[in-house]
Amino acid sequence: MINIINTNINKKRGSAMVGISIIVAGLIVAGAVLFTKNDSVPNSPQAGTPTQHNGGNTSTDNVREVTSDDHILGNPNAAVKIVEYSDFECPFCNRLHGILNQVISEYGEDGDVAWVFRHFPLDQLHPRNARKVAVASECVAEIAGESAFWEFSNEFFANSPANDRTDLNAVIPPILTGLGVDQSKFDECAESGRHDDKIQADIDNAVATGGRGTPWSVVIGPNGETFPLSGAQPIEAIRQIIEVAKVQ
Amino acid sequence: MFIDSIKKVYEKPSYLILSALIAIAVFIFAVLLPNFSLIINLLGLESASLFQKLKVIFSLFGSIKTNFTVISASYTILIAILFGVNVSMLIYYIKSRKGTIKIKGSGTGTSLGGLISGIFGIGCAACGTFILSAILGLFGATGIISFLPLGGEEFGIIGVLILVYAIYATAKKIQAPNVCSS
Repeated sequence: MINIINTNINKKRGSAMVGISIIVAGLIVAGAVLFTKNDSVPNSPQAGTPTQHNGGNTSTDNVREVTSDDHILGNPNAAVKIVEYSDFECPFCNRLHGILNQVISEYGEDGDVAWVFRHFPLDQLHPRNARKVAVASECVAEIAGESAFWEFSNEFFANSPANDRTDLNAVIPPILTGLGVDQSKFDECAESGRHDDKIQADIDNAVATGGRGTPWSVVIGPNGETFPLSGAQPIEAIRQIIEVAKVQ
Repeated sequence: MFIDSIKKVYEKPSYLILSALIAIAVFIFAVLLPNFSLIINLLGLESASLFQKLKVIFSLFGSIKTNFTVISASYTILIAILFGVNVSMLIYYIKSRKGTIKIKGSGTGTSLGGLISGIFGIGCAACGTFILSAILGLFGATGIISFLPLGGEEFGIIGVLILVYAIYATAKKIQAPNVCSS
């Protein structure tokens, strides 16, 4: 009799253990989801020192209005705008850069899509180079214009091993030469610090929209509906999101 | 011994189905994890059809190619499969002992350790989009990742190793005879 009771108790314990395991696994999953949710992050632990964070409330609705001060590829008046927050030393930003170039060539320069490039250098992960390259890209834009900015970004991503391993002195000068950017003007600009505020504003906006890592993007529909997009997503996913955003 | 245990468990198709379902669930979770906010947003949209919403969600599975390195994609798939196998074997073991097992040492803790470690490794460590970055970030210690040779992918690999050990330990227990211990 006692044996039967013990067996039953053990049976129940065994089942309880499986149940507890499932609950624990569920809690881990819930915890993981919470960690990836974007609306309760006080600031970006990964990003380079955000200066403000909208009182701790992050939302894609905080995305800064797209203006002529932004770097825009595609149709600036497009129905759908993909605002990408990118780090030149992030390998997945490199991948997304190629994918978004493909998106713009598919939809065309006058099509329904605009790609807006904003800076989000992750100083804690790429302390050596990320911000320097962001500054370099702004200096190229200042000296040689918008198309030079995009050519610089394409060339840099094509020649960088990423993850802060890029030898900037070896990679950047040939790109500048190819773009016809005067080295002395570039050096003066890079040392002036006059683009620091713009880069910081981009970082702050990335954090305010919920960005915690790169690549981080916000897709904006014609009526202002926003869609968060984390990571380097495949072109098919981006096409589908564009199609959904277009009718909002 | 190990193969014998596997054969024993998978003689019953229900365990094969269970393993497959758990593996698929873990894989879906791992791949879609970075974009839960997008999915929640989409599901709440009234203007998009269910078909359109599903198309977006399914297309996100392509990120296993674009948003993962070869190493992280490999261990994500491995963790999903191993976790499915491990849970099935544990359930088989608990059932086969008809409740005579001790709670301690049932291997559940090791299995969960493997899954937790695996989850920590999900995402792009180099870009701060993986879960470990978020947890370290709470303590202002994200920089630690940049010192790891594989940029945080170590946690996924550790997850695989722990799960392999957990399966081995469970297989050993399945083969062990029922004896009364003092």
